[in-house]
Formats: sequence, C-alpha cells, structure tokens
Amino acid sequence: MSSVLEACIFATVMGGFFGIILKKNLMMKILSMDVMSTGVIAFYVLVASHSGLFTPILEDTEGSSVAYADPVPQAVILTAIVIGFSIQALMLVGVMKLSRDHPTLEISEIEKSNTP
Amino acid sequence: MNSLTIAWIALPLFVGFSIYLLPKLDRYLAIAVATTSAAYGLALILGSNVVALQLMDSFGVTLLADQLSGYFILGNALVTTAVVLYCWKQAKSAFFFTQMIVLHGSVNAVFICADFISLYVALEVIGIAAFLLIAYPRTDRSIWVGLRYLFVSNTAMLFYLMGAALVYQANGSFAYVGLQQAPTDAIALLFLGLFTKGGIFVSGLWLPLTHSESETPVSALLSGVVVNTGVFPLVRFALLFEEIQPILQFFSVATALLGVGYAILARDTKRTLAASTISQLGFVLAAPAGAGLYALSHGLAKAALFLTAGNLPSRSFQALRQTPMQLSMWATLAAASLSLAGFPLIAGFGAKTLTLKSSVPWQANGLTIAAIGTAIVFSKFLFLPFVKEPAQKKSPNFWLAIGLLLGSLILANGFSLETYTLANILKALFVIGVGWSIYGLLGQYLTLKLPRAVEQLEHLLGVMSLMLVILFGAGLLP
Repeated sequence: MSSVLEACIFATVMGGFFGIILKKNLMMKILSMDVMSTGVIAFYVLVASHSGLFTPILEDTEGSSVAYADPVPQAVILTAIVIGFSIQALMLVGVMKLSRDHPTLEISEIEKSNTP
Repeated sequence: MNSLTIAWIALPLFVGFSIYLLPKLDRYLAIAVATTSAAYGLALILGSNVVALQLMDSFGVTLLADQLSGYFILGNALVTTAVVLYCWKQAKSAFFFTQMIVLHGSVNAVFICADFISLYVALEVIGIAAFLLIAYPRTDRSIWVGLRYLFVSNTAMLFYLMGAALVYQANGSFAYVGLQQAPTDAIALLFLGLFTKGGIFVSGLWLPLTHSESETPVSALLSGVVVNTGVFPLVRFALLFEEIQPILQFFSVATALLGVGYAILARDTKRTLAASTISQLGFVLAAPAGAGLYALSHGLAKAALFLTAGNLPSRSFQALRQTPMQLSMWATLAAASLSLAGFPLIAGFGAKTLTLKSSVPWQANGLTIAAIGTAIVFSKFLFLPFVKEPAQKKSPNFWLAIGLLLGSLILANGFSLETYTLANILKALFVIGVGWSIYGLLGQYLTLKLPRAVEQLEHLLGVMSLMLVILFGAGLLP
C-alpha cells in the first residue's frame, strides 16, 4: 500500500512540475506550483507514517506498544506549508499588479515586454 | 560565546521589525546590526573557536559557527554596511531597510546552521526578502524580474525539500552529518536546490537578468552576498564528506568557464558583472580551503563594482568608450577589477592563489583558464577612457561606501600574507598579462550576440529536470 501511495505522491509532484513548465498562463503556473508543493507535503506525511499511524499523543491507558506516527516530519512540514503559503500570496499580488498591463497573463507576452 | 551566538542570530530579525515601528531610526538601526555582525565575524576568524550548538533535543536546530562561517559573515556585514551607507541620503522608505536587515539576518543564519530544515527556512526567507527588494520600485519590469526569481527559487526549494525528507528517512535526523547515509537521489535533489540558489552551472542562468535589472544597491547585495548562501552549504558538505568532492570540483570548473564565457560576450556593464558573478561562484566552490577568503574578496569587489557601474552615465560599453568618465570613478572600477582578476596587493590575489593551490591538478588547469578569462572580462572595465577634470560631484555617502569596500579589500590581505611569494606573484601577473594581451588582440571581435532563449522562465525551469538527471547520474558513478 505504501508504495502505491508513494507512486501517487511522485505523480503529483511530477504533474505539478510539468504544469509549471508547460502551462502558458502565469496564473496556471502558480497553481501548478501549489500542486507540486502539495505533493511534497504529502511525501512528508508518508515519511512520518512509516513508524505507525497513531496520532503521536501520549496516553496513560495504553502501553508503549502503540505504533505512533513520527511527529518530527509533520512538525517540520508545517513550517514549509506556511512558507509556501506566504510565497504563493506574494506571487499572486505580483500577478495582480502585472495583470493591469497584461490582462491575458500570458508568459510569453510578459517576458517579451519586460526583457531588455 | 554560545548565548552570544543566539543573541546575535536573533538580533537582525528583532531589529528588522523594530525598524518598522521606529521608521525615523531606520538607517542607524541597520548600520548597528551590520556592525555587530562584522564584529562577530571577525571574532570567529581571529579567535578560531568553533561554536557547535544543538538547541532543543536531538530533533532541534543544529548550529555550527567556525572560521569558514566567519569569512562569509564578515563579507555579508561589510557589504550590507556599504549598501546602507550608499542608500543613506536616498529617499528609501523604512520598508526597504526592514527587508535589507531581515535579508542580512537570514543570510547569516545560512552561514551558521547545520541542519537541512533550518537551511530551508533561511533560504526561503532570503527568497522572500530578495523578492521584496527587487520589486521595491514597483515598476512592471521590477515585479516581473522579482516574480521570475521567486518562481525559480521556490521550485528549486521544493526539490530540495524532497531531498531533505529522504535524508530524514535514512537517518531519523535532519542534521548535515546524515548526508553520509543518504541515498543518491537525496543528494541529487538537495544539490539541485542549492545549485539553483547559488547560481552554479546552467542552474544559475536566472542570475544575469535578475542581478542586472535590479536597482544598483540591490544588485550589490544580491551579487555580493545573497548568492553565497547557495554555495556555502555545498562547501560545508565538501568539508564533511570527501566522497562528494569530485562532483563539486567538476561543477566548480564548469561554472567558472560558463560564467566567464557569458561575461566576455556581454555588452552591458551590469550584465557583465552579473555573469562574472556566476564564474566567481565556481571559484568559491572549487576548494573549501580557499572558499571563505574568496567569497569575502569577491563580495567586496563585486559590490564596489555594482555601486560604481550604477553611477556611470551609461550601461553600454560602446557608449562608455566614446564618453570618458571621471578619473575617480575609473580608479574605483580599476581597483575592484584588479582584485577580481587576482592582482597582487589586493585581497583577490591571496584568495585566488589559495584556491588554485588547494585544488586538484586537473581542476587547477581549468580554473587557470577561467582566471585568464576573468582578466579579459575586467580589461573591459580597465581600459575604458577617463578624463582628469571633475565633471560632477558624487555624494560623500557614495565615497564612504566605496571607501569601506576598497579599504576592506586591502586589509583583507592580512588573512593571506603567506601567499606572497615570488612564484605566486609572477604567476598571477602572467595570468593577467595573458588576459590583457588576448583582450588587446581580439577585444574588438568579441561581440557575438548570445541568444536569450535560455534565460526564459520555462527554459530555466526545464533545465532543472536536466540537472536532476545529470546529478543523479554523477551520484551513481563510483
């Protein structure tokens, strides 16, 4: 099961990456980047689940035999989610500004008028 | 020293946001932070004590500050100070200085962190702060250049993050030392992220446009310090594990030659400087023994060149050849150019000699060719015409900033006095002489126009998949 999940995650990452390259619209490129980062986040969750699936909250009633999920990758990816979020927001603001002069947001047009 | 390190790393973030509350004091606070960093960096270099910290248990943040970090931190501090001095009289808002100090702090964080996640966070904060600085003029072009930078760097960092997950899977920890047990794909993914951030080989082709189209002080910051953040972790890895050194040696020579080729053919001053940054990063990466001093001397000289080139009447070499510039401006350009070309008496000489001495033989040959190329590149600046009478006066702040950078370049000689032997001096002069004669003979023919297609966003991103395959293949080699 784990390897099927892993394959799906890599498919998501690759799909996002190809979207970034192949989509012509700047907005779609940014959304593709979000797809790619979703894949990476899912990968961290998968890595965390290798040791078990239980939420890592210690309880008195159960012994140490419970297979807890690894809390470290989950904690780490939380930081990455927040950073990804803020970068996305920042890029969308930039796109809003650019859309005034390039309403179609086509990357080739933007690039043509902004490269010396 | 331990609590001092933690206080020092937190200071820029604290002060950076305080600047927003106390906008009247922005310039003073910025200078104070940069000076503190300079003192800390000097203490690391001269004291030669190593600070190794493990905060909050074995899963926590790992810090490592040693002499190597000291050189990078000192370079960052001096360039930031010079840029603040340069901007002192300009109508920049407190926002600009906030971003500059946040950038300064996160660059410092890269130079002392020793685990992959701290490095990730620091690099992403650098990306955001650099974007805000690039887009500060709010023109369409500046926003586009910034967006392009953020796009490339964020995509690269997503690959990096996957590599970090694989390292954790293999070790149960994010510390740098885990790289030893990491699988090949982890190394390929991590290196792709760092290569892109640090402008190494074809991953660095985003760099010429970004650095040349930014405002003058921002270009100086980006080329002087920010790109070092991609290279520094690689140097750290090379020191920790000898097995990965051959890959880095190969890419260092390739980067040095690629950047020099681009720089020789460029016809615009700022673009030449930006392209030469790529080649200099190859030199920084070449040998861990010389990396610190090289990054320091390159950062100082490049910042001085960017600040001066931004104040010339034109950016085109053609126009500059026809209208002579002031003697004082020419002298500044000449001193910084000579340093990058490795002329004795300036810090670039010691750094270059040290790097060439500590690299392996085949690598030294490639780097010597790149050094000759560098001499050709900077003869373009050196042989520009000048006149003696002062045309217009520059503000004293400009000269203060330039004085600080060039003065530090001379003083930095003190770190490498042992390189001043007759053989080394003769070799450096020979390399420069060859470069100058090639420029004299062929200078006017070097006007091939390179296609800009490779610098389009889609190609920059596509190159990442290519680099990933190359790196993976290189990792599988014995």
